[in-house]
Amino acid sequence: MQNKYLRLLSLLLIVLLIPLAYWLRPGKFEEADLNPPPTRPKMTSKSLGFEKPCKDEHPEWRQAQTIDGVEIAESLACSPDNPYDIAAFVKGVNNVSMPTLMSTHLSEDALTKTDDLDGDGDPDVIRIKLEVIELNGRSPDGDFLIPSYDVLPGVQPGLWVFAPKTSDMAVKNYGSNQANYFLRAPSPVIRVEQGDQVYITLENTHYFPHTIHFHGVDHPWKTADGGENDGDAHGGAMAVFPGDSHTYEMKPRTTGTMLYHCHVQTDKHVMMGMAGMFIVEENRPNNWVQTFNIGGGHVRHPSVGVKEEYSQEYDLHYQSVDKRLAKIIQEANDPRLIEKKMNREYNMTESHENYFLLNGHAFPYTLRDDLIVTGPNEKIKLRVANAQNSAMALHFHGHKATVTHYDGIKQPEAAQVIRDVVDLASAQRVDIKLDTTNDGLHNDGEGVWMFHDHVETGATNDGVEPGGNISLVVYRDFIDEHGMPKLHEGAFDEFFTSSYYARERPMWATDDFVQLLGEAGSLAPNYLKIIAFGLTVGLLFALVFYLVRSFKMER
Amino acid sequence: MNFVKHLILLMAMASVQPAVAAMNHNGMMMDETGMIMNSNTDNVPRDCKKIAGDVNITVRAGHKQAKKFNGIMYAFDQQQWEVPPCSRINVTFINEDKIRHQFMIHDLPGYIYPQGMFTMEIYGPGQKTASIIVPSQRKTYLVHCEVPQHMEKGMKAQLKVDGGDGDLPSIPGISAAVNADSYWVDWDKSAWGVLLVSFFAGAAVLLLLNRIKRNPAREIEEETGS
Repeated sequence: MQNKYLRLLSLLLIVLLIPLAYWLRPGKFEEADLNPPPTRPKMTSKSLGFEKPCKDEHPEWRQAQTIDGVEIAESLACSPDNPYDIAAFVKGVNNVSMPTLMSTHLSEDALTKTDDLDGDGDPDVIRIKLEVIELNGRSPDGDFLIPSYDVLPGVQPGLWVFAPKTSDMAVKNYGSNQANYFLRAPSPVIRVEQGDQVYITLENTHYFPHTIHFHGVDHPWKTADGGENDGDAHGGAMAVFPGDSHTYEMKPRTTGTMLYHCHVQTDKHVMMGMAGMFIVEENRPNNWVQTFNIGGGHVRHPSVGVKEEYSQEYDLHYQSVDKRLAKIIQEANDPRLIEKKMNREYNMTESHENYFLLNGHAFPYTLRDDLIVTGPNEKIKLRVANAQNSAMALHFHGHKATVTHYDGIKQPEAAQVIRDVVDLASAQRVDIKLDTTNDGLHNDGEGVWMFHDHVETGATNDGVEPGGNISLVVYRDFIDEHGMPKLHEGAFDEFFTSSYYARERPMWATDDFVQLLGEAGSLAPNYLKIIAFGLTVGLLFALVFYLVRSFKMER
Repeated sequence: MNFVKHLILLMAMASVQPAVAAMNHNGMMMDETGMIMNSNTDNVPRDCKKIAGDVNITVRAGHKQAKKFNGIMYAFDQQQWEVPPCSRINVTFINEDKIRHQFMIHDLPGYIYPQGMFTMEIYGPGQKTASIIVPSQRKTYLVHCEVPQHMEKGMKAQLKVDGGDGDLPSIPGISAAVNADSYWVDWDKSAWGVLLVSFFAGAAVLLLLNRIKRNPAREIEEETGS
C-alpha cells in the first residue's frame, strides 16, 4: 500500500517538474535584466589580419619611361604594370632586347609580330599564344591553394584565366605559393590593329577542354584550311582537349571593344573567369599597339587612334564570382571528380554572385591597381565590358560620362548621350568619354570620386559593404607617393583586413562611438538558474527510474 | 678607320639584336622552342672528388603518360630515378604534348645551381638534352612540371641519390596524397551481406555470453523466490 502512495506521489512530482524544468531551461540567448552586457574590447591588431594598403613592390615602375624605343606613360597607382612587359607587348617578343625579355615572364614564342603588310610602319602579322591557368587550385600535397591569388583580403576563389604564354616558375619563388603578377584575373585584354592578320593559338595547359570564341570580333567561321574558328564546341565535344592546341585566325575589318571567351560549358567556364576584352584599334601609320594589358586598367601605351582624341585610356573588365562554383576545384583533385561536381552536381540556374571584381580585384584591392588618375581638363577613354552574369549600372560620382560606343560600334555624335548611370547587359561593352572639365555637367571639380555598380550588391564582398567593384577617380593633387588616395590618415586601413570581410568586426566602432556602436558582449551565466535546472532534471530522471523499477519489481 | 666602322656597326647590331637565337644569360639558355636553366656538365659539387659516372635518362612528358594511372591528367613516363652519389645525369626530355611542359629539380646546391634549381622547359612537341651533377649526400629530390596544376594532376617524380631519404608524397604509383580525394564506396549486395552476417554473428556472441552468465543466477532466484 505504501508503495502505491509513493508511486502516486512521484507521478505527481513528475507532472509538476516537467513545466518547472521547461521554465528554468537555460538558453543560447536570454533576455537581459536591468543591465545589458558591456561593449566588447576592440580586437588586437594581430587578429585583425591587417595588411599594408600599398606594398610598394615596384615604385620604379611608376615613372614614364622608354624601353627598347617604346614610350610608356606614367602610372601613379600603387601597383603599376611592369614597363618591360609593356615594351614586349608593343614590339613583340621577337623584336625586344634580351634584357627586356628577361625582365618579363614571357616565353620566347608568346607573341611575335612580323610583316608590315600595308607598308605603314607597323607589323601586321600577329601571332599570340594563350595558355589556360588555374588560380587558387587544390594541391594533393597539403591544405593550401596554388598558385594563390587574393581577390580581396583573405579571399581566394578558384579561378580559370587565359594567360599569355609564360616561362619558368608560376609562383613568385620556390617556397611561395603566390602566383607571379602575370598570372591573375581577369583574362588579359588583347589589342590588335584593324586589318592585322591575327593568329591566336590556344595551348590548353588545363585539365579540362576549352575553346576561344571571339565575340563581336570580325572572324571567318572556318580557318583558311577549313579548321574550326568560332570556338563553338557544342558543349565540349569539339573543344581543344588537355595537352592539345588550336590556332584561330582573323583579319578584323571592324574596330571596337569586343570580347573573347571560352565556349565549352559556357555558363560555368565564363563565370570561372575565362572571358576577356578584345580590342580592335583603328588602322594608323606607325601604330604599334599594346597587344596585352595584364590585369586591365591603365593602358600605358595607347594606340595612335586613341591618342588623337584622348589623354589617357583605361580598360575596365567587370566580372562576378559564385563562391560555390569557385570552390568546386578546391574540393577535389581528380579531374573526373571535378567534372562530375561542376557539370552534373552543381546547378548553374541556382547560382548566386558573391564577389564582384573590377579588373580581377574587389575593393579594397581595386585601390592598388584600378584607380583612374587624372588632372582637370582631360578626356579619358574608358573601355568597359560586363563579363558578369547579371546586368550592371555603372555610376560615377562627380562626373557625367558620355557614351561614345555600344558593343564597339561608334554612335553618331547626336546619339552620344551623357549619363550618370550607364547600364550594361551581360557581355555588353560601352566606350565612355570621361571629361574632367569642371563645368558642372561633365565634372563637379577635383577630388577623390567613387565609381561603382549601382546595383548595390555589386558594391559588396559577399554582402559586406564597401567592397565589390568600387574604385576611384583620383585627381593628381590627391594621390600620395604610394599611389594611394590622400584622405585622412589610415582612411582605408580597416578595409585592408581579412577580419572585416569575415564579418568579425562591427563597422562603426570608431572614436566617440567605440562603446556606443561596438560589439555587444555576452551575458554572464546565471548560475542559480543553471543549478535549479540541473537539480530539477536530475530529480525528474531519478523519479522516472524509481517508477519503472518499482513496477518491474512487482512483476 | 675600317675597324671603327665595323665596331660601330657591331655595337648598333648588338643594341637592336632581337632575342631570336639561343642565348646564354645567367645560366639560362633560351630560344623560341624552350629554355634550359643551370645545366651543368663539369662543375663538380664540393663534396665530390670527381664525377662518379654518367647516367643517361630519357624522360617523356604528356597527357598520354597519365593513362596508366587513375585520377590524374599529366605525367612523366617514369616516376622515379635512382642514381649513385656524384653522378652526372644527362637528361633527354621529350615533350609529347602541344603545350608547355617542364622537367624541374629543386633543392640542389645553390653555389652551382642558382635558387637550387635545374629546369628544362619545352614550349611544345620536341626534345632537349641537358645535364646536372648531383652531390654525394643521400637525398630524394623533387622532380616536377611547375605549370599550374601539372604537378598536382600527376606530373611529379623523384630523383633518389644513394637510395634517397624517403619518398615524397603524391607521386603516381609510388606514394599516397597528403590531402587525398574521397570516392563513392561500391555498396553492392555482397558488401551489405557481409555487414548483415557480421552483425548477427556479433549479436549471437552477446546472446551466448548472456546465457552462460544468467543461467546460474536464475537457478538461485528460482530457489529463493518459491
